[in-house]
Amino acid sequence: MRNKNTARLTAILLLLCLSLTASPAISAITCQVSPKQIDINLTYHGATLTVTGESAPGDDLVIRIGNKAAPAHYKYIGKAGGIFWMKKGNITFKNVPGVYILASSGKLESILDPEAMKANLLGYAAIKATAEIEEGNPGLSKNEARWKNEFIRFKEKQNLYTIHPGTVTIQPGQTNTYRVEVPWPFQAPPGTYSIEAMAIRNGKVAERARTDFTVARTGMVAKLTDLAFNKPALYGIMAVVIAIIAGFAVGMIFKKGGGAH
Amino acid sequence: MYMYLPIALTSANYLVVVGLGLLVGLLSGLFGVGGGFLMTPLLMMIGIPPTIAAATDANQIVAASASGTYAHWRLGNVDYKMGIYLLIGGFVGGAFGVQIIKALRATGGADFLIKITYVVMLGAVGAFMFFESLNAMRKSKNKPVAETGEVAQVEKRTGFFASLPMQTYFEKSGVTHSALVPVALGVFVGVLAAIMGVGGGFLMVPVMIYMLRMPMHVVVGTSLFQIMFTCIEVTFLQSYSNHTVDFLLAILLLVGSVFGAQIGTIIGKKLHGDQLKILLAIIVLGVTVKIVLELVMEPSILLAMKGGH
Repeated sequence: MRNKNTARLTAILLLLCLSLTASPAISAITCQVSPKQIDINLTYHGATLTVTGESAPGDDLVIRIGNKAAPAHYKYIGKAGGIFWMKKGNITFKNVPGVYILASSGKLESILDPEAMKANLLGYAAIKATAEIEEGNPGLSKNEARWKNEFIRFKEKQNLYTIHPGTVTIQPGQTNTYRVEVPWPFQAPPGTYSIEAMAIRNGKVAERARTDFTVARTGMVAKLTDLAFNKPALYGIMAVVIAIIAGFAVGMIFKKGGGAH
Repeated sequence: MYMYLPIALTSANYLVVVGLGLLVGLLSGLFGVGGGFLMTPLLMMIGIPPTIAAATDANQIVAASASGTYAHWRLGNVDYKMGIYLLIGGFVGGAFGVQIIKALRATGGADFLIKITYVVMLGAVGAFMFFESLNAMRKSKNKPVAETGEVAQVEKRTGFFASLPMQTYFEKSGVTHSALVPVALGVFVGVLAAIMGVGGGFLMVPVMIYMLRMPMHVVVGTSLFQIMFTCIEVTFLQSYSNHTVDFLLAILLLVGSVFGAQIGTIIGKKLHGDQLKILLAIIVLGVTVKIVLELVMEPSILLAMKGGH
């Protein structure tokens, strides 16, 4: 009898464990991206990334695309002599991603708590909160908020920081499927980028799934870059010789046509 | 419609880039200027980083000036002797100017000096050419037979320039000068050009017209000849040391500029010397006004990429 009870108890505990591991809170979200590689060829003008996956019913979604935080070096512009606006010195922002693209199923502020936004680097306010201006320039650090705003505006102007609220579409089902198409800016340099899909439940990030994709130079673009950086003398001579030949060749074409006489 | 530029790390509409090349090539053929003072800001406006814009511009000027030099050589408008003296001075002055900038960058005063030099030189050259040409055009209206561009050749040579040693006759230009004069003027223009980061055509042209008293048609051909060599040096050094020449961008620009230079040469032949000068003066003054406005008006964003002026 005691053995029977023990077996029942074990079975109940096992079922409980199984149901917990099978619950949407742990394994429901997935993330895939297409294409896995973006080729920078001669006609490249950016691309469209399609991010798809599955998520638990009832969850909102935020997709974050970008790269690791690293120092970003710029020149800051100020007034010189009380009249002229010009570059005055160097400014370095630390702990800032080079590329930052967010897409979500709703307005960030309405689906996420402020603390969750800050903790998960979601939204420009979170970036400003974690960014640091390198020490050594007291005039700049006194006015940190202003320079951090300028940094975000500069990145937005370059299309390297973008937020697309409400663009993630969710198809309801036993398990939801989601999809979002995100424009990838041609200004983003080659490299490996990560995509993180976050399931939002009760204002908090409940689950995550990650995938990577690469942006790489191919064909003529790759060959020219290689030549410019690894054989600069040859590259320089080629640039000069082709320019001279082109100049004289067109001059001769015009001569044959009698245009210049 | 778009082409990716591997060194500039950006994508640009190639019709726009070819169009810019055509416009600046036209000026090059018309006035004998490289057009760097105009092209670099135009390239920056379409999103090319400043350092890449300046270096690549030098590469396309090689093609435009080669095309223009060829056209002017056939017309017999290149004073090679004068060109080589100016070139020697230009190389020496350029090297000296680069050292001045290096020293100033170390003290942090370079950017201010560059901008001020730009405004003062462009403004002075533009205003002087404008009023001088306007006067000459008024006079030529009163005396339609007079060839105002050639008057200088028969002027009596007196004063400091005539007393210098190594006097030599420049047959093509029909002027006699000490060989030291074009070399010294070359040094002067070379220093300023290096400080301002431009080829110096817009400075060299007035120097040849007003100080060396060369006829306008020879000035344009000789200036293009000299600019071609200066820009060959700049293109190679920028490619080799800084990796800032975007060859694909240069190709697109030169497709436009070589044709523009030929068209400019043809139009130039149909215009009077003073009409050419006053047109160049208006363009130079326009660029000066643009730079002054940029200096005094608060930019929309107070951050800029590192590099460039």
